[in-house]
Amino acid sequence: MNRTLFAKELRANLFVSFIIVAVLAMYIGVIVSMYDPELGESLDAMMQSMPEMFAAFGMATQATTLLDFMLNYLYGFLLTIFILVLILVMVNKLMVRYLDRGAMAYLLATPNSRTRIALTMVGVLATVLVGLMVATTALEMGFGEALFPGELDMQALLQVNAGLLALWLAMAGLCFLSACLFSNATAALWVGGGLNILFFLMQMASQVGDKFEFLENVNPLTLFDYYGLAAGDASAVGGAVALAAGAAVLFAAAVAVFDRRDLSI
Amino acid sequence: MNENRAPQGARGPAGGRPGPAIEVSGLVKDYGKGRGVFDVSFAVERGEVFGFLGPNGAGKTVTMRNLMGFIRPDEGAVLIDGLNCFSRRSRIQEHLGYLPGEIACMDEMTGTAFLEFMARMKKLRDRTRMEQLIEYFELDPARKIRKMSKGTKQKVGLVCAFMASPDIALLDEPTSGLDPLMQSRFIDLVLQEKRRGATILLSSHLFEEVERTCDRVAFIREGRLAAVERMDDVRRTRKRVFVVTFADYFARDRYAQAHPDAQKQGAANIEISVAGSLDAFVKDLAAYDIVDLTAREQTLEELFMHLYGTTEQVEKGGSHE
Repeated sequence: MNRTLFAKELRANLFVSFIIVAVLAMYIGVIVSMYDPELGESLDAMMQSMPEMFAAFGMATQATTLLDFMLNYLYGFLLTIFILVLILVMVNKLMVRYLDRGAMAYLLATPNSRTRIALTMVGVLATVLVGLMVATTALEMGFGEALFPGELDMQALLQVNAGLLALWLAMAGLCFLSACLFSNATAALWVGGGLNILFFLMQMASQVGDKFEFLENVNPLTLFDYYGLAAGDASAVGGAVALAAGAAVLFAAAVAVFDRRDLSI
Repeated sequence: MNENRAPQGARGPAGGRPGPAIEVSGLVKDYGKGRGVFDVSFAVERGEVFGFLGPNGAGKTVTMRNLMGFIRPDEGAVLIDGLNCFSRRSRIQEHLGYLPGEIACMDEMTGTAFLEFMARMKKLRDRTRMEQLIEYFELDPARKIRKMSKGTKQKVGLVCAFMASPDIALLDEPTSGLDPLMQSRFIDLVLQEKRRGATILLSSHLFEEVERTCDRVAFIREGRLAAVERMDDVRRTRKRVFVVTFADYFARDRYAQAHPDAQKQGAANIEISVAGSLDAFVKDLAAYDIVDLTAREQTLEELFMHLYGTTEQVEKGGSHE
């Protein structure tokens, strides 16, 4: 890690991170405030009127507790695919644009190895995602406690969020590997981004109909089982650990590729 | 005449090594469709200023990228201070200054912030040289790089390349975008750095750029090194081209008859190239009624043709070898 570069890139990505946190705060606030311990009826009625639509976005379970309600309405879509937007913006800034515009030449015209430069970029990516996870958890706990004191199962929430962080890192690892692998800027950004989007579409399809259920078995997103994590299931924990390990492998591969490849800068 | 040296065998430890500062031997980097560099070999001695001259797309930047360790050679060896440029690139950078051919700075930063950032990345403690250079190039670094003109960006790049007082500087088209005053400041800077003992490799497609600074010059064309020459030799054999406008048509024809190598142009002009001493040429003209006289240097292509005759044309067509 190079502290100068780390500080510069962290600062450069702070603004977009704050926007994401602001959007998350709004959504988490709205969803938590919609929770009604007595009458979940209006939402249930809506869910029953168009069950496929809700299922596609991972909102199929009848919510009984506040945590279930949050898992149902936040974790299937907003806290996963919306974070992909931030990841893509950051990977673009940290790697794709540096290579495409040739400014990487300046970073490499210093006595810092490529491995060090790439690891610094990974560090920035991971730091922002960890920071975002802390912010998300704080928002969830804050809104939960403020609106429904004592209703939220904190322990279970932390278990779920640890798994969610592993998922974010794995998604980021895939995008970063793609950024290091391809010299064409569009491919560098969208092979990784596109694969992530494809996984989400596969998940949406498999949740709607039995016809596509086989897709679950080939989809890495299945490893993030948030209901299982909340319940403390061993298989769900194993899935989250696998995602974290996958993230580490993807980042390591990205750094190794960046160290060895030809750079047309 | 050809100063191209074979790389030396013994590789001692880096640093106090007496061999050449930069060694390129048998470098091949093939990008297909004739793009790239093919069997390029040259060596730059310590304290030497070496020009790398060729038209756009001849392979100058590809060679620079190899020297910077951005790309790995398909064949051959590229060494700086005796170290492999690809595998030991970060070590080499400790004593190297680089100016990229395309000034693609970090657009959103101000010049000041960028230079400070680069100084920290280079672990540069002393900012005196940086400030000297900013003053020397009359650079106002406070503005965002995105809003700077091409010449100003170039100045930022030059300050960045020289601020750490490097032992070796690689400069890719260093004067592009600079106005004539700044071009001559650049030339003075190169001579000043040379006196300090720096080794400088600079590439250009303009002869003038290398003429006043370089000890030796390499001509590259279509990815192949055509020759490495001492600058003094090139300067001596270089011709000047004059366009002479005579008072009338008859005077012009009289001159043209006396000088069969002169080419008629328009009604009363001739174009003639003169090598060596101008004395005879001027004294000869005194016998005529002259309206106007303009001179230009030979273009790179003309110079090239002059140095290597017409066989180069055959090679250019690709039928050679």
